[in-house]
Formats: sequence, structure tokens, C-alpha cells
Amino acid sequence: MSGDGLILALETSCDDTCAAVITPDGAIRSNIISSQGVHDRFGGVVPEIASRQHLTLLPPVIDEALRTAGTTLDDVGLIAATRGPGLVAALLVGFCAGKALAAARELPFSAVDHLHAHIAASFLKPSEFEPPFLALIASGGHTLLAEVSDHRALRIIGQTLDDAAGEAFDKGARLLGLGYPGGAALERLAAEGDPGAFDFPAAARMPGLDFSFAGLKTALLYKVRDLGERETERRRADLAAAYQRAIVEALLLRVRRALQQTGARRLAVGGGVAANGPLREALGGLGVELDIPPRSLCTDNAAMVASAARYSPILAFPEYLELDVYATGERR
Amino acid sequence: MRILALDTATARTAVALRDIDTGANACMLGELDLSAVDDPPAGGRPGHAQRLLSLIDELLQQTETGWESIDRLAVGVGPGTFTGLRIGIASAQSLAAARALPLVGVSTLTSLALGAQERAPASATLAVIDARRGEAFVAGWASGADPLSGEPALAPRVLTPEQLARVAASSGTATRAVGDGAIKFRELLEAAGVEVPQDGSPLHRVSARVHCRLAALAEPSPDGRVEPEYLRRPDAEVARA
Ligand SMILES: [Zn+2]
Repeated sequence: MSGDGLILALETSCDDTCAAVITPDGAIRSNIISSQGVHDRFGGVVPEIASRQHLTLLPPVIDEALRTAGTTLDDVGLIAATRGPGLVAALLVGFCAGKALAAARELPFSAVDHLHAHIAASFLKPSEFEPPFLALIASGGHTLLAEVSDHRALRIIGQTLDDAAGEAFDKGARLLGLGYPGGAALERLAAEGDPGAFDFPAAARMPGLDFSFAGLKTALLYKVRDLGERETERRRADLAAAYQRAIVEALLLRVRRALQQTGARRLAVGGGVAANGPLREALGGLGVELDIPPRSLCTDNAAMVASAARYSPILAFPEYLELDVYATGERR
Repeated sequence: MRILALDTATARTAVALRDIDTGANACMLGELDLSAVDDPPAGGRPGHAQRLLSLIDELLQQTETGWESIDRLAVGVGPGTFTGLRIGIASAQSLAAARALPLVGVSTLTSLALGAQERAPASATLAVIDARRGEAFVAGWASGADPLSGEPALAPRVLTPEQLARVAASSGTATRAVGDGAIKFRELLEAAGVEVPQDGSPLHRVSARVHCRLAALAEPSPDGRVEPEYLRRPDAEVARA
């Protein structure tokens, strides 16, 4: 733990530039997120563009986090930053900025794992959801199931073999002409459609706890092609509803299996997909104790990084000066 | 004025600390430049993210300098590798913010040209940094022009080998080219009559020591932020254009 000082955390692993201040006992004082929005016209996050944006946006985002928290660096006792996994060039901006802030004041520093941070969102007030629990993290960057036995440890027991769940939403939205990122638009359109109108695969026959969404995306592509332009246009809401149902079912099926396999009775959910209404509804029907933090703590943010720092190794100055980031393959 | 400068635009991680007299003839009172010992092995990654802060820490310890006695920070803004520029600038902005220090952005090409002029005066100078992908970042100073005070006759730009050859040919035989890009395009430059010092020459090195001199004369950024000189748009934008 960091003593009495506030924790200032930075997160730049993908396309959100984030800084946050929390108290040593996990109360959020500020949580600033600057979503870049410049990637929409490219149909996905462009690492070089994201990194340039981070460099420009980070200083004002840090200033705003301190100002909103009503504090200054003088009251900060620990600096934290996301080390990985993520886009290396993007990670480097926040990680180097965080290390330098700490070094110039000889403050301790904590290098945080991004996935641990998503789970640590549940440790923040007001949730204060205590381990052990099962965690489902589903976003545009990652989809995984983890067994969380204590605050410091997570064991990944299932993850996506291809697309992330949020990516599946976005790609489906694009096929239906909803633009990028279109996950939220797809959900709105789906609300007017019949989820049973088409039978899209939820990879139910794939055993175990891993996810796969590539087949689902292909199924939608073929269906759109079969229907033709006019019929697709007429049945867009039905297509969206059925497609969304398949994603939710795929997630739900593996959550059920994981609960059974681990014997867990409690479930925490994070990642941007946790905002999806039908998914929340379905998870609510599982009959387990459920924690879904508010949306601002589910999507990438720095408050969760600060929270994870409370349960990560704290390095005293100058032990952290030579730390580098990690991409860890495709997982982020 | 005591200035701490750093540069991560090229493969070397360079830091320096100098006392510069604020008079018209800036005079050097003390210096330490750790860049010479830190050239990465051939083909190796620069590793700026791991080394920059520990180099600065080592420099401050060796010179028994505390942050409170530093008056100004300087950072090389490139051009150079995009990731390298961001590591240097993100770090420098944070150091400046954490210590409430004025921050100055320094052109890495200008520093390269000035450093070479200081060591061994030549007439005209081409500063050339390897831009990867077979291209070069280039700026040029005419004969008699001082990189310390004068704007380059050839403003910083990215050039293909063909364009570089044309620039070299038109800049005359009394021209000297320095920088890792000059080494890389030695054949082409020498064919045009431009002099390129031998590969191991210190004239080719970006030195943060020279940044200090430039930074002493520059106006600090009003908001503590400096912009990298990318000179190239991201590929994704170029592909769409
Ligand atoms: Zn994430």
C-alpha cells in the first residue's frame, strides 16, 4: 500500500487517454477519459494515430484529473500506469509519462497489468466487491473469463480465440451499415427486431471456456449476401437482434460453464460490452451475486488502474526507472 | 542557467546537463554527456523507454545535482523515430510538470548541424537523420550560416534517395553531411560531391550537450508542452488520401 498519499494513475493502452485520482482506500476522486474518436473513419484503432493523440491529450487529461480531484501532485503518494497488455506505442506514452512524474519527485511507482485493472474496477467504492469471484471481461479489445481468488491474483480460464466480443458487435454493425464503432447502434436497432428471426451460431458445440466469434461474423456476412440488399435493408432490425442474441448466448454459455466448473457463486463483469442491456439482463438471471460497475468503470479508464495499483507491487524510487511496457501478443 | 537536455529521436539515448551563461556568448561551465557509451548494438532496439530515466538519474548523481538547482529542461523534438520522439517528449513533459520547470523543444537536425559546426567548422552543412523505409530526414545550412541563430536554408523535410541526391548535387562541393542518415546514404552523397566524415566520427552523433546551447537561447513553451516534428503523416492517413 501507498501510505497516506493519493494515487494518480494513467492508462493509454488503446485509444482512450485516461488519468484518475483515487484515495488510498479506493474512493474515486476523479476519473477523466478522453475518447479519441479519430479512428472511426478508419474502421478501427490505428496504433500510430492513437499514440499521437495520447501524447497530445495526456498532459491536459492529467491536469484535469488533478483539478477535478481538487488536489495537486503535492498530495500524490503513488503514481501508477498501465504497463500492458496493449498497443506498445500507445502504452509507452502513458507509461513513460507516469514513470517520469514519479521519478522527478522520487515517488513510488506501480506498473499495472491492464486485465488486472479491469477486474480491480470491482474493488473500488461503491462496489467493493470482494474476492473470490468469477470475472467476465468483454470489450472491443478482450474477452476472457478469470478466476479471481484474491485482490492480487487472477487466473485466466477462458479467452477468445479470434475476435473480442466488442469487436464482434462492431463488425456486425459495420455489415449492417451502422458505421464504426457501431456496437451501441446495433443494440438500439436490435431492440426493434425479433431475436428469433434468424439462427446465428453461438459456438455452443465448442467445448470448454474459450470464446470464438469469427464464425458468427461470417454467418452474418453470408446471411446479408443471401438476403440481398433490399431484403437486408427491410430486415435489418431482425438481423441485429438475432446477431446480438448469439453474442449474448455465447458469453452466457461460457459463464455458466465457468460457474459450474469453479463452483463460484459470485460474478463480476467488466469491459465495454458490460453496458449491453440484453447481456446484463441475461447475467441477472443466473442467480449468482453479480457486480457490474458503472459504465465509466467498465470501459478503459484510469480509476481501475489506480485500484489495481493498491494490489500490485509498489516499487520505490529508483527501482522502476528501467521498466518497459509489454504487448503480450494479441491479447489486450 | 543550468539546463538538463535529452534526445531520443535517433538510436541513441542522449542526456546532458550544462551550465550556460545567459550572455550573448553562451559559455559552457560544466557538462556531462552519457550518450557516447550507450550506442545500441547493430540491429538492436534503442531501448529509450528503459534507459532514459536511469541515464538522467545517473547524470544527476555523477554531477551531484538536485532537481531544485535545474533551471530549464530541453528535449529533442526530432525528426526521428515516432516512438522515440514520444518517449522523449512524454518523459520531458512529465519531468517539467513535476518540477515546475520551463521546457524547450529543440530541433534534433539543428542540434546535429550545430554540433558538427562546433567540433569542426565546415562551409555548408546537411544534417541527415535516417528516416527508415529508405528515406532521410534532412535540413541544410548554407555556407556561413550559423545553425545556432540562422534558420536552415533547406527546412526540415523527408526525402527519398532520388530527392536527396538532387539536394546534394545542388548544394555544392563544399558541403558536409552529418548524421546517421549521412552514413546510410554515404555513397549517394559522395557521388554528388558532398563530404561525409568517416562512420565512427563524433560529428554524426546527436548530442544533448548541443541541445543545451540551443535551449538557452529559445523561449520556453508557454504551457509546458512541445510538439514532435514527425514530418510524416501516419500510414493510415496517407493510404486514405
Ligand atoms: Zn481494456
